[in-house]
Amino acid sequence: MSIIEATGICKTYPRGREEVCALRGVDLTIEKGEFVSIVGPSGAGKTALMNILGCLDTPSCGTLTIDGVQVTGKGEAELVRIRREHIGFVFQQFFLIPTLTVAENIGLPLLFSGTPYDPAKIEILLEKVGLSHRADHLPGQLSGGEMQRVAIARALVNDPRILLADEPTGNLDSVTAYGIYHLFEELHQQGITIIVVTHNHELAQRAGRVITIRDGLVDGGVMGARAPIPEQE
Amino acid sequence: MNLFTLAVKNLQRRKGRTILTVAGVAIAVAILFSLLSFSAGYERELTKEMDSLGFHLLAVPKGCPYEATTLILHGGVIPKYLTNEDLVRARATDGVVIAAPLLLQQFVKDGTPHIVYGIEPDVMLPLKPAWKVDGRFFTVNETHVMVIGSTLAEKENLAPGSVIPFGPLQEPFTIIGVLKPTGSEDDNFHFLPLADAQRVFKKEGFITAIAVRADDVKHIHDISVELEKVPDIQVVTMAQVTGTIMNLVGSARSLLFSVIVIAIVISAAGITNTLLMSVNERTREIGMMKAIGASGYHIGVLLITETLLITTIGGIIGIITALAGSGLIEMFVRGLVPYAPTGSFVSFDLYLIAGCLLFSIGLGLLCGIYPAWKSARLSPMEAIRGEWE
Repeated sequence: MSIIEATGICKTYPRGREEVCALRGVDLTIEKGEFVSIVGPSGAGKTALMNILGCLDTPSCGTLTIDGVQVTGKGEAELVRIRREHIGFVFQQFFLIPTLTVAENIGLPLLFSGTPYDPAKIEILLEKVGLSHRADHLPGQLSGGEMQRVAIARALVNDPRILLADEPTGNLDSVTAYGIYHLFEELHQQGITIIVVTHNHELAQRAGRVITIRDGLVDGGVMGARAPIPEQE
Repeated sequence: MNLFTLAVKNLQRRKGRTILTVAGVAIAVAILFSLLSFSAGYERELTKEMDSLGFHLLAVPKGCPYEATTLILHGGVIPKYLTNEDLVRARATDGVVIAAPLLLQQFVKDGTPHIVYGIEPDVMLPLKPAWKVDGRFFTVNETHVMVIGSTLAEKENLAPGSVIPFGPLQEPFTIIGVLKPTGSEDDNFHFLPLADAQRVFKKEGFITAIAVRADDVKHIHDISVELEKVPDIQVVTMAQVTGTIMNLVGSARSLLFSVIVIAIVISAAGITNTLLMSVNERTREIGMMKAIGASGYHIGVLLITETLLITTIGGIIGIITALAGSGLIEMFVRGLVPYAPTGSFVSFDLYLIAGCLLFSIGLGLLCGIYPAWKSARLSPMEAIRGEWE
């Protein structure tokens, strides 16, 4: 069963007096448990597509179904609920709150979903991203890779079925980036659907499927050749 | 963790800015609290001072009655007089319990003006139950005796038993008593038997004013109407005096209130600006929070909580500062108003404290609502891209 079904998605933005067309009718189906990367040149509409798939933005036309639920036409309150329950987000800038500890940053979404803070769960997530020893550190004391790991743990705290990552390694060096991809692969093994938007073709090839966006359209869905996983980070 | 602790943590991110904003609120609230408390305290102390006079109305010679009354209250000489006939008439009026004749005279000694009150002890003392004397008060028919106020005694280094030459003829007068401090102008006066005063100042048969106590405050009006039937007499009630003084103070008070309003407007603009700045800086972060499940409501509540924290803490600090510095503020205000009662204006008034706290909270809501609304309705996608407005 497909977890994301998008048909005829288009998106236009006003820019001054002009209308800029970011997406011109994207049809896309992502199966449950897939690891997909979305690539394409700058301005092709990758981020626009990502925002729509993540219910951060609404399409100008077309329909979107997430986990069998029709999303298009829903109000912001409903979209908040869908994001909270189904989707975890990872951004290029990690967006950690500098005055909260690692553990508190990971638990932040619980505050909004009204779920009680469960230290055991945070502990499991810390272990999953390899930061058990960093629980009480502040973000300023972490390296870039560690910060992105915290952000990934935060994205997972509400047990989403889908993890959306927008240029997750854009601010990281290549070795650290490998480590983050390795983590994505582990999460993928655990059954989470992972969608990564990236410029990095080499890393994109490690996904199960590479979707190329060009001029607001899907440019074929090529099956990616999995690159060998490096011995160590 | 909850939204409250998150708000606290957010405020800790820019400590300097938070402290400055809190200080701005504190100053505004301190000014507000002091001036309101002054305003209430002033009226209270003025009424108390009027009550301590012990009489309900003054019969004075026709002229400018308010000026006359103020002169009598603080000691001054009016060049017009009532006569003993008027006194007899006043005593015969229905509802008058006590009618005490007063003769006020002034003389200058070593460049300092001295005020002399000629009084009849048998009628004056019942009007002044608060008077306590070191030594004793004179009785009817005594002559060449005097009671003086405590401040005067200290200044002139006089004590019961001292004999001083007094008046144009330098007659010897024995000081038989010194008033214990009353906290009023009485502390500066010489009190002489009326007949002595009339003789020394050559005002035989004349009095400056008649202090009248009514059997019931309800009769004050009837008594004044009755007394004013005498052509020479004009009546001033203490309520009128209080009202007149409050009017005089009114203009000073509106000046003070405009100062408060300006302080508060500046402070409010500062708070709103700080919040907008902090929202602007955190646009992307707000977008992130929306992406990870925060609703507009959460963001709005977070922002409002931050503002309320700033204004409430500022309000508490402001009230404490105002209470601690009330002496200084009172000194400043005393210099500004035309007539200042002697008691302390600032008091620990719980209602006023509660009112000022409520005001701080209201200020927070007012200043926080726009930034909160603005960030609550921010689209997450635009916020993450850092597109604001």
